[in-house]
Amino acid sequence: MHGFGELEAVLMQRIWDHGGTLTVRDLFEELRGERNIAYTTVMSTMDNLHRKGWLARERDGKAYRYKPVASREEYSARLMREAMAGAGDTEAVLSHFVAQMDGSESAALRAVLAKLRDALP
Amino acid sequence: MITALALLGYAACAAWCVPVLLAPLTRRGASVRAGLAAWLTAMASVLVSAAVAIQFSLRTVAADWPQLTRALCRSVAGGACTPAVYGSVVYQAGVIVLAVSLTLAGAVAAWRYGRRVRRSRAQTRSHARAALLVGRAIAGQARTVMLDDPRPAAYCVAGRPAAIVVTSGALAVLDPPQLAAVLAHESAHLAHGHHALATVTRGLAAAFPGVPLFTRGAAEVARLTEMAADDTATRSSGRPALVTALIAIATGAAVSSAAAAGAGIRGAAAPAGTMAAAARAVPDRVERLLRPSSRARAAAFAAALTLALTLLAAAPPALTFLATR
Repeated sequence: MHGFGELEAVLMQRIWDHGGTLTVRDLFEELRGERNIAYTTVMSTMDNLHRKGWLARERDGKAYRYKPVASREEYSARLMREAMAGAGDTEAVLSHFVAQMDGSESAALRAVLAKLRDALP
Repeated sequence: MITALALLGYAACAAWCVPVLLAPLTRRGASVRAGLAAWLTAMASVLVSAAVAIQFSLRTVAADWPQLTRALCRSVAGGACTPAVYGSVVYQAGVIVLAVSLTLAGAVAAWRYGRRVRRSRAQTRSHARAALLVGRAIAGQARTVMLDDPRPAAYCVAGRPAAIVVTSGALAVLDPPQLAAVLAHESAHLAHGHHALATVTRGLAAAFPGVPLFTRGAAEVARLTEMAADDTATRSSGRPALVTALIAIATGAAVSSAAAAGAGIRGAAAPAGTMAAAARAVPDRVERLLRPSSRARAAAFAAALTLALTLLAAAPPALTFLATR
């Protein structure tokens, strides 16, 4: 199951890097040179990504042409909005290395740093 | 009835008094483990007391029910309504009101807790999944991805699998030892199940809004888990790398970890007391890393917290025993 999630990530990165639309065949040809992978695996993974709302597709002859529903930048921005929102706005349990600081906290940190600078040669 | 009231009185008192007593003992993180254990034991102690109180009052209602109906019947019948019966109706009505309102309060709290935990779990998992799909892999680091954003930030998010996210803004201000310290800190959260503690304590804070033990407790548990992760990261990456990484991400400006190590950021050369009493997570963590507690101080705090923990754990059974004797 872990491996499958990883393949989804690899495919999405390829599709974003590529720009434009891609068929399963296009992506399979590109990946085949680098890793041992079956055409059906690529096909089912792209189908999953379509079902989960990451890829849009339209029929082109016998095959589907896939493209990302949103750009990587748009998804990044959405994630960062969720991550940076105050504790009340997001219910996701994210543990920040450094929590968002309010004014008094920044001032307190600056005070520590000023003392630190004095303490250092 | 006496047992239920005794336990309820204790639960209410503890829910408001314990934060006042515990917060000063855990604020500086002199003894992180004992601090976490004390806060969690306090929460469990209050929850157990309330649950047992509900159970006792329900049992009293069940036991007195036949007597109550007889009394009501007599009072409706009129002439047979003696003062003794009248008194007993009031008493039993009181018991019923107490039992029903406690049960309702418990049910509302349980419902709020469940809703909060379910939503939080769903959002957490979907965030982790999306981060792993959208972020670019950081070489050599499993489940660690970089997101493009100029604001320096690093965080971990529980999920299946969990993810560690570092922004491009953070990578720009961190040198390799500092990045290693940040990743060690975040891995410690995931390895030690800190997200589970956060889910439970935030769920309880949502279930009992305005009750200091749970609202303040959730914040204090979060602070203590940060300090615990700092301790793990310090062991693997060293104090200078971690402190300078904290400062770099907090201020958005690069600070060389090597220079700091050379200048002696180990605790000995640290500045003396700089903080006011308010609980401020980041400055407190920096100060704690720069000026670690002495062994004696840590042992004293651990002893005090262990005593508090023992009393809190003993209170519900002791009260039940004394009141039912």
